[in-house]
Amino acid sequence: MNHIPERVPESPCMEALQLAGKIIMENGGETYRAEETVTRMGDGFGLQDVESFAVPSGLFISFRGKDGNPVTSVKRVHRLHRNLSRVDEANRISRCVETGELTVEQAVEKLREIESMSGAFRGWWSLPAAFLCACGFAALFGANWLSIAVAGLVAALVQALETGIARFRNFGLTASVLGGLFTALLPNLLVLVLPALQTELVVAGAIMPLVPGLAMTNAVQDSMRGDMLSGLSHGVQAILTAFLIAGGALLAVAIKRVMMGGGL
Amino acid sequence: MEWWEELLRAILGAFFGTIGFAMLVHVPRRALPVCGLIAILSYLVYFGALKIGLSDPTSIFLGSLIGSLAGHQSARKMKIIGTVFLVSAIVPVVPGLGLYRMMAYLGQNRISDGANMGIRAMITIGMIALGLGAGAMISRIIRSRFPSKNP
Repeated sequence: MNHIPERVPESPCMEALQLAGKIIMENGGETYRAEETVTRMGDGFGLQDVESFAVPSGLFISFRGKDGNPVTSVKRVHRLHRNLSRVDEANRISRCVETGELTVEQAVEKLREIESMSGAFRGWWSLPAAFLCACGFAALFGANWLSIAVAGLVAALVQALETGIARFRNFGLTASVLGGLFTALLPNLLVLVLPALQTELVVAGAIMPLVPGLAMTNAVQDSMRGDMLSGLSHGVQAILTAFLIAGGALLAVAIKRVMMGGGL
Repeated sequence: MEWWEELLRAILGAFFGTIGFAMLVHVPRRALPVCGLIAILSYLVYFGALKIGLSDPTSIFLGSLIGSLAGHQSARKMKIIGTVFLVSAIVPVVPGLGLYRMMAYLGQNRISDGANMGIRAMITIGMIALGLGAGAMISRIIRSRFPSKNP
């Protein structure tokens, strides 16, 4: 005889906790924040013995159900986006739950909305953002007007490329190499036509939108809370990304040398 | 370069550059201007420390420390997650130029110049982390000494 389990009454609670933790971890929030949010929401729902354990690739939640047995869930998490608006909203909802302003059903509904919202700057907004970022930092490094403009254009072009290949899964590391490659290659080739271009400053400015600033911040934040595992993981991500970008740039320098007739 | 041009570049560059970066990580819109201001603050501290003759690592440390403190306080005031402001505080002092120079030297087979640049960039990154960490610690002390009235 097939045993058909009846619907567990706690499952909406679990769904809300899972969603909140998942949103925070997928969109570039710190791991300790995911743990804290889940525990805080669980307490807000009036659940007993709420425990949460998060590592950067997974989220484990457990609480004591109404019949006294523990209810547990395991959720595999993939770091997909960098979207701090979603993290902020999920954090805000957990605080509303804590003060009792939201019921379980309302919380689940709101969290679903957050999951599907596009963030403060949707779609092609990333192009002008990259342009602004690269122009600003090129100016900061002391480049001339031409170099500032070229840095912005190169960064916007690379951003468009990344937005294009973002459709494929597992693109993160490849995108870093390609980003570094094109960011360094374009100015190195353009300088042949525009001798006034300050190649080094253009590349330094145009590379800023790719810099793993969020991973660095998360690494320090998690380590400071004593979560060494997550801190290490974010730190390795930051260093690996930086090295891959730099590796792409190295490739670009080598390509230029070959094109100019030099040896490898 | 005249000193006022350098200062103008520092202020405008850090402000707009960081706002661009903040948009790329989708910070909430109302946080954007504050992100820019924090970036100006941390870069000017770094810049000023260099000008009065402190070493590069010390200046980086001071810049990211002050930026981190300002970030934690703004997060508390505006009730937005701290990450938003901390990212903005460190982006202007991240060693993008150093890392590229390292790779450019290595690409030209100038190994010792490349190694030199690489170690400098690593020290800078370490100092940023140290500044952020110290800022978090001090902010926690401030928070426990002066708890906010409506948490």
